Amino acid sequence: MSRETIVIDPVTRIEGHSKITIQLDDAGEVVDAHFHVTQFRGFERITQGRPVNEMPGIMARICGICPVSHMVASAKAVDDILAVEPSPTGADLRRVMNLGQIVQSNALSFFHLSAPDLLFGFDADPAKRNIIGLARENPQLARDGIALRKWGQQIIEWLGGKRIHPMWIVPGGVAQALTPEVRDRILAGVPEAIAAVERAIAWYKTDMLRWEEEASTFGNFRSAFMGLVDRNGNVDHYDGWLRVVDADGKFLADRIDPRNFNDYIGEAVEPWSYLKSTYWKSMGYPDGIYRVGPLARVNVAERMGTPRADEELDKFRWRVGRVAGSSFHYHYARLIDTLHCIEKVEAILRSPDILSQHVRSRAEVNRHEGIGVSEAPRGTLMHHYRVDDDGIVEWANLIIATGHNSMAMNRAVLQVARHHVKGDRLEEAMLNRVEAVIRCYDPCLSCSTHALGNMALRIRLLAPDGAVLHELAR
Amino acid sequence: MTIAGDSDGAAAVATPHAGGGSCGPRLWSADGALIVGYGNTLRSDDGLGWHAAARLADEPRLRGAQVLWQHQLTPELAVDISKASLVVFIDASEADEAGAVSVRRLDSTPGAGSAWSHHVAPEALVALARELWHASPVVFLVSVGAASLGVGDRLSPEVERALPAVVDAVVAIVEEHCHS
Repeated sequence: MSRETIVIDPVTRIEGHSKITIQLDDAGEVVDAHFHVTQFRGFERITQGRPVNEMPGIMARICGICPVSHMVASAKAVDDILAVEPSPTGADLRRVMNLGQIVQSNALSFFHLSAPDLLFGFDADPAKRNIIGLARENPQLARDGIALRKWGQQIIEWLGGKRIHPMWIVPGGVAQALTPEVRDRILAGVPEAIAAVERAIAWYKTDMLRWEEEASTFGNFRSAFMGLVDRNGNVDHYDGWLRVVDADGKFLADRIDPRNFNDYIGEAVEPWSYLKSTYWKSMGYPDGIYRVGPLARVNVAERMGTPRADEELDKFRWRVGRVAGSSFHYHYARLIDTLHCIEKVEAILRSPDILSQHVRSRAEVNRHEGIGVSEAPRGTLMHHYRVDDDGIVEWANLIIATGHNSMAMNRAVLQVARHHVKGDRLEEAMLNRVEAVIRCYDPCLSCSTHALGNMALRIRLLAPDGAVLHELAR
Repeated sequence: MTIAGDSDGAAAVATPHAGGGSCGPRLWSADGALIVGYGNTLRSDDGLGWHAAARLADEPRLRGAQVLWQHQLTPELAVDISKASLVVFIDASEADEAGAVSVRRLDSTPGAGSAWSHHVAPEALVALARELWHASPVVFLVSVGAASLGVGDRLSPEVERALPAVVDAVVAIVEEHCHS
């Protein structure tokens, strides 16, 4: 059977660089689709030979968007190697910074990367369908996105001394105690942050009926979901146990100690991507597909655990079901996740011991292996290290949220392509839908890549012999 | 002068020393001027903006200016831009000859390269500040041709030698603006 291939290269408005290939058969029907990650960074190799105490600082350099998440997971892995437990205040302060990170990253994803599509529609002119257009059409929404970004960034900056790559989260806790001034400054921004995200939720709910077709075709399939939950089964972005539910909400596993994740999760490598694909071992590869991130968090948890977010969770579940299957609902879930993070920051900062000076525990290397797991904006993040007797890193493995979602993204692209791409024509709107389904997952390819370059979009239709039959660019 | 962050950090902010500089007694203030150096300090000459901003933060002729250095330009910077009457961006350039300093006035029309991702183009940020807060600052981009954008935490000799000229160019822009 002869095949033609459509290539979207690179995908725009995601973090990092990738391309999408859509394979067509003789009839112009989509037969396969792949989301390629085309660049390589290799932090797992770079860190070999480094003292383990340096790992949080090094791993934070993986990404300029979510360095805090990598620092949290890395510090927890080093805690494990040191066999040290941060003080309650140290752990809570780590939580606050991680939550601030998630707020600013979620805000970037929803308000700046995806809201233009939602406001103007996927068929709108790209010259209008961007944040400048958003600012003209709905300035309050644009200002709210900026305000949330700024608040989340300020939390990181005020706690860590800088917004990107702060060296504040360290093995055993955090480097400095919280001051009353910083606590009060963060708390002062809570009302505006809550108001901003609640306005966005109200807008989204009013508008979401427009997107019923997209919701039914944007990666709408049965899969498992994974996330961290606390002792009550509620969302926990920092610690707790891994829970995995199937498409009907039935537990595939619960109360898994994250340090045992290797017993349950496998990693597969495909020749067309540098991104490893993880799978649920008992279901095998590639059947063991599962999703992580905001949608998974609301699907696996009993409750969010904060009042306003729980109220919105009830409405979410009333609208889309107890376990939402469509990847389109990542947007809605991301807003509820953001609301919860803001409420949680406030709750932690109002706790009586938050100004305690005991924020760091110290120890030497006591184990040769350590695992740290936390929730990053895009989903569950796992750092796994092995060290020698002197604490020198011998081996490291990272499983990032985008890796967990790799198979799901490929399936989502295939579904959207089958629905919208007919092969005989290249139309920007339908190809943008293919891109947009990827953006639902908010993939952060910086975790495995980093390169300078222009994010222009190029779409190619290739004959089986590689000849370019048709090309679009913007 | 106050500095938030450290020499290795991102998104630091500083207000230069008060007092006269090489121009002699100051008759003008740089209040309302925002200077933003940006780039990746682990990508050799891409860190030009940081190095330049660090020098400008200590520049006595820029008393009153706000100096920021950032890893990337991000949307919330539009808030700072909205409060400024003059904005000077400093960045490395792949298009110019290595070490060559160029000064270009920008308008607020987002260019073709402003596809929205984790970073945004200077023009797009200014456009955002205009749309959301009706801001209309005068905007310049001071750039230096990069010799190397490979992995590394040092500037190339060509770009290092250009740093004094970058400082002078920025001071000249601010001085002219404040006198106008």
